[in-house]
Parts: sequence; structure tokens; C-alpha cells
Amino acid sequence: MQNRPSGFGNPWLQLGLSVACVFVSELLLKRGATDVAEPDSALSWTGVNGLASPLVWWAILLIIASFVSWLYVLRCIPLSLAYPLSRVVDILVPMGCWIFLGELISAVRWCGIALVVIGLALVAKPIAKMEERL
Amino acid sequence: MSLLAFFFIVVSLLTFVAAQLILKRAMEFSATNGMRNSHFTLLVAVGVALMTISFFLTLGLLQRFDLSYLYPFQGLSVIFITMLAAVLLKEKLSVRLTIGALLITAGIVLVSMS
Repeated sequence: MQNRPSGFGNPWLQLGLSVACVFVSELLLKRGATDVAEPDSALSWTGVNGLASPLVWWAILLIIASFVSWLYVLRCIPLSLAYPLSRVVDILVPMGCWIFLGELISAVRWCGIALVVIGLALVAKPIAKMEERL
Repeated sequence: MSLLAFFFIVVSLLTFVAAQLILKRAMEFSATNGMRNSHFTLLVAVGVALMTISFFLTLGLLQRFDLSYLYPFQGLSVIFITMLAAVLLKEKLSVRLTIGALLITAGIVLVSMS
């Protein structure tokens, strides 16, 4: 972590950018998939028809951007620290579904989401260590 | 939720976890052996193919379900990694990991009921 680059090369800024890209890409994928949804067609289980939506292509670009900045983050910050911090996206995504996508989230679903978030927060560090060894 | 949907959710997560581990193995291999060899190319190709499968299956699922419904299922990846680590690395489950995995499972059951 010595000689840490500043400005755009700052690994903490890149971690934030990576999380933001994942968050926005999830919302764009959902919006794009809904726009071109064909739930009656068996072929649509493969998701290929989703490529007809420009929003899906924007989401793909953001996924690539998040992947590049994540690789950069891992060069500077250990996985066992970076991975637990990146899990903040698990809180952002359901909030985004509620605020930006207008999804009606029932009390039961909020409780389920909360349990998953607490569980992930508990296991994030040990899982990152396991992934390092795997 | 139909059995078919649950099947696709599990397959999309399994392919995602497998792709991550294979790509990581490829990068580790390239650190010692370089990138110009067939083994590295094969690992990257398999990793990218698995990631692509996972992406399209997710896109298919998103056409049918809320994102707030599907997203918590990503917590299952933790269960898969724990099982892989137990099988491949003979890791023992810590109390923290067990409680976390149980909470995630309970949460996913609640979400799937909603």
C-alpha cells in the first residue's frame, strides 16, 4: 500500500467506482430486460433476446469497467479487505430497486434481504480468505 | 417460483463462481508461465464462456422476476464457495461462517416466499 497513487489512480476511488458501476449495471440490466421481455417464449430463458435493448449494452460496458477497476483495486488492496467493502452493493441494489425501479418490496422480502445482508457481512472476510486459497 | 426458475438461478450462480475461480487460476498461471501458451488460453476461454452463460441466464431471469427478488439469491455463491473450500481445501467451518451461511439461507427462503 506504499507509494499509493493519488487522484484517479487512488485504489479507494477505484473501489467506489467499481461498486457504482456494478450498482448501475444491475439496474440497467433489469430495465433493459423488462423492456424487451418475452416471458411466453421458451427461448427467452437463455436471455439472448435481451441484447435487443440498448440499456443492456450500456450495462455490459459498465460491467467491463467495474471488472477493470476491480482488478486494479486487487493490485493495491488485499482481497480480504476489498471484498467485504465491495459488499455494500448488496444494500445499494435493493434500495435502488425500491427508489429507481419502483419495485414494491413486501415486509417479508425486506426481512429476507436484511438477513442475507447481515449473513454476507459476517462471512465476507472468511470467504475472501477462502477464495484467495482456492 | 417454479422449479425451472430455481434451476436457472442455481446454474447462473454456479457458472459465475466457477468462472471466477478459473479466471483466477489462469492469472496465477500466467504469473509464472506467461500468457503465450495454450493452457492459459484454454483457462481464459473456459472462464469467459462460463461468465457469458451466467450473464445470459441472469438476463432471462430478469425478464420474469423483480431485481429485488433475484438479487438476494447471489448470497448462494457464498454457500457454493464454502462447499468448494470444504471439498478442495478440506477447510473446516468456523462458527462465524456457519452462522452467516444459516442467515443467508434463511434470508433467501424468506425472499423466495415473498
